[in-house]
Amino acid sequence: MSKRLRKGQAPTRRMAHVWDASRCIACGACVLACTSSNNPDMMFREEKGWRSIASNIRRIDSVTPQGRPEVLLVQCQHCENAPCQTTCPFGATYTDDDGMIRLDPRMCAGCGYCVTSCPYNVRWFHPDSKLPKKCMGDTCLTFVDQGMPPACVQACPAGARDFGDLNDPNSTVSVTLRAKRSRRLLESAGTEPKYFVVEGS
Amino acid sequence: MTPADLHFQVDIAHWGWSIAWFLWFVGIAGMGSVAYYFVRKGVLSFVILGSLAIGLLFVVSHLGRWWNLPLTLWTMITNGIFNWSSWMLLGILMLSLHLVLTLVLVVAHLPWLQRLGWLRWTAALSRANAFVAAFALLGFGCTVYSGFLLTQAAGIPLWNTSLIPILWVVSGSIAAIAVLEILYVFGLVDANVSSLGVRLGLGLDAVKLLAVLAFLHVALSFGSAGARIGATAMASGEYALLTWGGVVGVGILVPLAIGAYTVLVKKSKLLLLVSAVAALAGVYFLRAAVLLAGAWEPLVL
Repeated sequence: MSKRLRKGQAPTRRMAHVWDASRCIACGACVLACTSSNNPDMMFREEKGWRSIASNIRRIDSVTPQGRPEVLLVQCQHCENAPCQTTCPFGATYTDDDGMIRLDPRMCAGCGYCVTSCPYNVRWFHPDSKLPKKCMGDTCLTFVDQGMPPACVQACPAGARDFGDLNDPNSTVSVTLRAKRSRRLLESAGTEPKYFVVEGS
Repeated sequence: MTPADLHFQVDIAHWGWSIAWFLWFVGIAGMGSVAYYFVRKGVLSFVILGSLAIGLLFVVSHLGRWWNLPLTLWTMITNGIFNWSSWMLLGILMLSLHLVLTLVLVVAHLPWLQRLGWLRWTAALSRANAFVAAFALLGFGCTVYSGFLLTQAAGIPLWNTSLIPILWVVSGSIAAIAVLEILYVFGLVDANVSSLGVRLGLGLDAVKLLAVLAFLHVALSFGSAGARIGATAMASGEYALLTWGGVVGVGILVPLAIGAYTVLVKKSKLLLLVSAVAALAGVYFLRAAVLLAGAWEPLVL
């Protein structure tokens, strides 16, 4: 079971998501797997603000200047300098010893400061519990505690998703990031995100 | 061109009209407390108490999980988890303390409560300059907090500017003067307070106009894509009427014109009332426009 890090403590693991855009076929399986695993009550309900399914993975569809359709999948970046943790007035948002950003529902009053503080716009309010949901959901956290990959990684048919420890040089994410060209989103925000977009070999 | 990833915070975080009311009431109470240092009228302390109470009601009612507040505070205290880096936590503490000090002042100004011997210490305390100065300082701090509350929200580039706390202090001062003008119209404060208020208000309106234009100019010219989207929504988009009609027209130009007329031609209580109500409305419109126009940085253009 992961523990809340105290001030000054460093995480023992630095768990990170890798999304390989060059392999992604934009089927949406990860988005659906996320919702069906973590928020099954939202399977047929919309996140009104995003105008899409309520999922911890947000899908952005666009078209390149050359007219080619493009997709970007975004989720909690588990930032090492997370603004949502800095601003949360009640300490509900915290970093655990896996280096993941988590939410303690007992300490959340639903002020929405974490939502406006996240540069990636990946938190959404559950319409019933009013909790600011994000990756990872409870089911995925259980998977990770049991040494299994999160639902999105399990569901991806193209092998475009991975999750692992950056501190372990032999983890699959470390190997991929050494071998392939990748980028992080909004680097200039200074959040030190742990979500890597692989763009090619 | 509309970015592929365009989202305004009001649709997702829901910081909209009710938060604008909260910021408005905190501005009145905060800078009203500074005005109290100079005016020392009981009626102003009642206005400050009312503003604080209603403002806090607005913000608590806006909490998605307000019913969880007791457990939240209990867990926070028993686990010793205090996030001092959060402006919201600092604000909660400052507003709570400000509410207590305001209650002391209100009790001190109520003769029927002063008949109770055990409450007479409040009157003595309210006459101490140090206490009133601390009260004013705390009020100023609450107004500044309400600005930094937005500045710290890293997801909304339009808000990530030090101009917001300054705008809030200037417009909060205008609101406090407007309250004093209304109290003058109803014979609750002296004419000399009103005369000084009109002159001060003229200067502050000019500074506010400059600050609003600077806020838009900086975001439009040098801001990131998210800041430009927000500023465009204010300047020429969905909230242009709120900005130019409400913030600038009603909130600045009307009080400026009436203030100039009052100083140069003659003083009219009716016009002063119109000016004060317009100024107060403008202060609210400013907070609403800045909140509603807040958008995220698009991850894909």
